[in-house]
This record gives sequence, structure tokens and C-alpha cells, in this order.
Amino acid sequence: MKRRSFLGVLGTLFGVTAFGSVAYPLLRYLGPPQAEIDAGKQSFKKADVGDAREIVFQNTPAIIINRPGKGYIALSRVCTHLGCLIDYDRKSKKLICPCHAGFFNLEGRVESGPPPKALTTFPLRVEGEDIIIG
Amino acid sequence: MWQKLKDGIEIRIGLTDLIENRLRQYRVPSDTNIFYTLGIVTMAAYVVQAITGYFLLMYYVPHSEHAFRSVQDIMTIIPFGWFVRMVHMVAANLMVALLFIHFISIFFMGSYKKPREITWLAGGLLLLVTLAFCLSGYLLPWSQRSYWATTIVSNLPTAFPVIGDALANLLRGGDSVTGITLTRFFSLHVGFLPPVFLSIVGLHIFLVWRIGLSVPPLSQSAEEESEWTEFRHATYSRSYPFYPNFLLKEVSMIMLFLAVTFFIMSFMPTLFLPEAATTPADPLNTPADIKPEWYFLAPYQMLKMIPNKFLGISLQIIAIIVFLFWPFFDTRAERNIMKRPLIFGIFLVLLALWFLLTYWGRYSA
Repeated sequence: MKRRSFLGVLGTLFGVTAFGSVAYPLLRYLGPPQAEIDAGKQSFKKADVGDAREIVFQNTPAIIINRPGKGYIALSRVCTHLGCLIDYDRKSKKLICPCHAGFFNLEGRVESGPPPKALTTFPLRVEGEDIIIG
Repeated sequence: MWQKLKDGIEIRIGLTDLIENRLRQYRVPSDTNIFYTLGIVTMAAYVVQAITGYFLLMYYVPHSEHAFRSVQDIMTIIPFGWFVRMVHMVAANLMVALLFIHFISIFFMGSYKKPREITWLAGGLLLLVTLAFCLSGYLLPWSQRSYWATTIVSNLPTAFPVIGDALANLLRGGDSVTGITLTRFFSLHVGFLPPVFLSIVGLHIFLVWRIGLSVPPLSQSAEEESEWTEFRHATYSRSYPFYPNFLLKEVSMIMLFLAVTFFIMSFMPTLFLPEAATTPADPLNTPADIKPEWYFLAPYQMLKMIPNKFLGISLQIIAIIVFLFWPFFDTRAERNIMKRPLIFGIFLVLLALWFLLTYWGRYSA
């Protein structure tokens, strides 16, 4: 190998090493720190039939709805479109995203608007006067 | 005394030579209109932003528990704090408006054509950096609008498969907008974007100066229309000196910009301050009537209308790329847009569409 080619290879090698050694720590530095999440179960008070209760479950804003004739359901309030929080409209029995007019039914499925998928559902069970999620 | 000082400066930096050779002999086409001054007026707006931004930094606290309060204190307690903040806010909005008008006029006059393609590209990048300034800036007051507008924008990358979520989390510093996002955007706004902006603006001004101003297409002479096969400074059949003639025109327009800024501050102080911008951020309540700033209303409405998130965002990215590299697509030498009815028509339709989407986005439910 000629000296010029050798120096070229060496320069490239050092360059790639230097770039990688800076880029990796930088990306890790910018990476989100791990949020502390309580992975256990949480208990919440019941809601009247047709009513809803806004809660925070494992750092996620969520909602418990007491659906007439269908019982309780716990859904994430984070709209699957661009992250705004959906509201429960008692009158129309729908969940509405105020940002881009996404409509969900009380099962969390998309009825209209731009959200690409259903709201996340959390498993729950009713124990006496409490609702246990998780 | 004054003469002595003048002579001292003259000996050391040659001011007369500088004015004579670099400013007075620097020629500008005599048919230039007020649209030719928009670049320097926008630059003046940036200077206003830098100065007022510096003063705001003295009292602003970039912490999620104190940010909103500190901005309220600037507005209500600090003597003339309201003045500094209002100038910063109103001038920011006018700056974006000026940039838009600057681009529209450059397009209509065909000033982006060879050899000024890189000047356009640098200008396009400056527009993107300006929008990044606006975006990072309006999270800082930590109001409801700040919080939810940032939530929406920081979720845009999630439209992309595989890397989307990681990108969004990297931008926010977590799954949602938090205090970490605030400090991240603050450092972006005051630490990262200014040097990036200054580098690009340096290139942009250098290119404008180096090549020279373009002649309005309707008054172009045959010599000016000749093809650029090698580098030369633009020559003009009719011209006047940059200093004092053109500079005076520019200064007048800067004064107009300042007059409009102070007029809005005095007579329409809430024009850029909707209610959601004056209530503190509540991460558990998205306001019903949340709207982005006027310059983001068109893309906002577009995202609302297109049912597929990936498609909606991809279309916007493609539009940005086409806009940035437009001079490399449109290589025909003809600069008079009236002689190019198709391009003229398409541009008018796009402009009308932008206004329509902005209006619709503002008033839609």
C-alpha cells in the first residue's frame, strides 16, 4: 500500500472513530431519562352510570367511564393522533379530541377524524366501592 | 476635537475609502422597489429579537414551576417589562410575516434563478430556523397554548414507522412534554439556534453582496438577461449607489416596521395573545379552542383534514423540500412570471389555498 493511501485509510479510520465517540455519548445524553413509573395496581373511586372520572395511571392521563349497560372501562386520555387529551362528552356519549377533532366511541375505537388507532385500554376490575386498574 | 477623532479613525481603518469604494461605488439597479428592502427589514427584526430576548433573559426562569410566574412578573411587576416582552412577541410575528412576503416577492420577480439558487436555499433554511425559533420560543411562557402546541408538534415525528417514537422522545426528553422539554427548548432557543442562524444569514448576505441585487424582470436589459456561464458581479444599465440612496430606502422601511410594531402594541395588544396564552400550562387539560400561531394554522388544518397521519406529515415534508430546492427544479431562464402562465397560476392557487387553510384553521371547530 502506498504511503498516501495508507494515510488516507488511517485518517478515515480516526475520523470515523472520533465521530462515533462523540455521536454516541451525545445521543445517549439527549435520550430521555427513565421516568419512575409505579408499575403496581392503583385503586380509584367509582363513577355513576353514564359518568366518567379522570385519573392519572402510571403517569398517563386516563379516564374511567361507567358505560350504561356495559360497565366500566379505563382508557388512556392521550389521543393517538398527536397527543392531546381527549374529553368525555356525556351528552353524545363520545370521547372527543379538542385539537384535531378526533372522535372515539366509549370502547376507545376511532369513529371519525384523523386518529390512526384506538385509545389504549387498561385492564380493570371492580372491588366493592373501588376500581382497581393494572 | 471631533475632527481629531475623525482623523484618528481615518488613519487606522480608512473609513472614507470604505464608504467610497465599498458603499458609494457599490451599485444597485435603479428600478428596485420597496420589496427589495424586505431582507434588511427582516434582519432588523432579528436584531430587535436578539436585543429584547437578551433583556427577557434577565428575569425569565426556565423551570416548569417558575416559567409562567416569571413571565407574568415581567409583564406586571418589572418596570417596562411588558414593553420588552410585547416588542419581542409582536416583532416575532411581524418577522415571520416579513419573511413570507419576502419569499413571495422573490418568487414573483424570479430573483431565485441562476446564479442565485444558493441564496434562495440559504433564505429557505433561514425561514425554517425562524420557525424553529418561534416554536421553541412559544413553549417558554409555559402557558396552556405553549404546552399543547408543543405537545402536538413534538408528536409529529411519531407518524414515521420504526424511528418515530424514539425521535419524538428525543425531542421532548420523555414520553410527554415536561420540565425537561422546557429546558431543552430553552437551550435550543437561546444557545443552539442563534449561532446556526447567524452562520446561515452570513452566507445569505455574503451571496447577495457578492452577486449583486437582481434587476426587476420587467426592466431587464439584454445584457442583464445574458446567461451566466462564469462568475461575475451583476451589471446594470441604470443604477444608483447603495449608499446613501438605497440605504435610505432601507432605513425608511425599517422605520415603517418599527412603527407597525409599536402601533400593534399600543392599539391591538392582545392580537397575538389569545386566552390560552395567558393561562398556566395544565398537563391534564387540553383547552377546547387550542390553536397554533397564525403561521402554523395552514399545516394544522391540513393535518386535521387528512385522515392518515403519515400521509399528512409526509406531504408537508415533501412541500418543504420542493420549496427549498425550487430554483434547481425551475431552471428556465425566463424571469417574467407573466410569460409563464402555468407557474403563475399554480402559485396563485397554492397561495389562495394557504390563505383558505389558515382562515379555516382559525375558525374551524
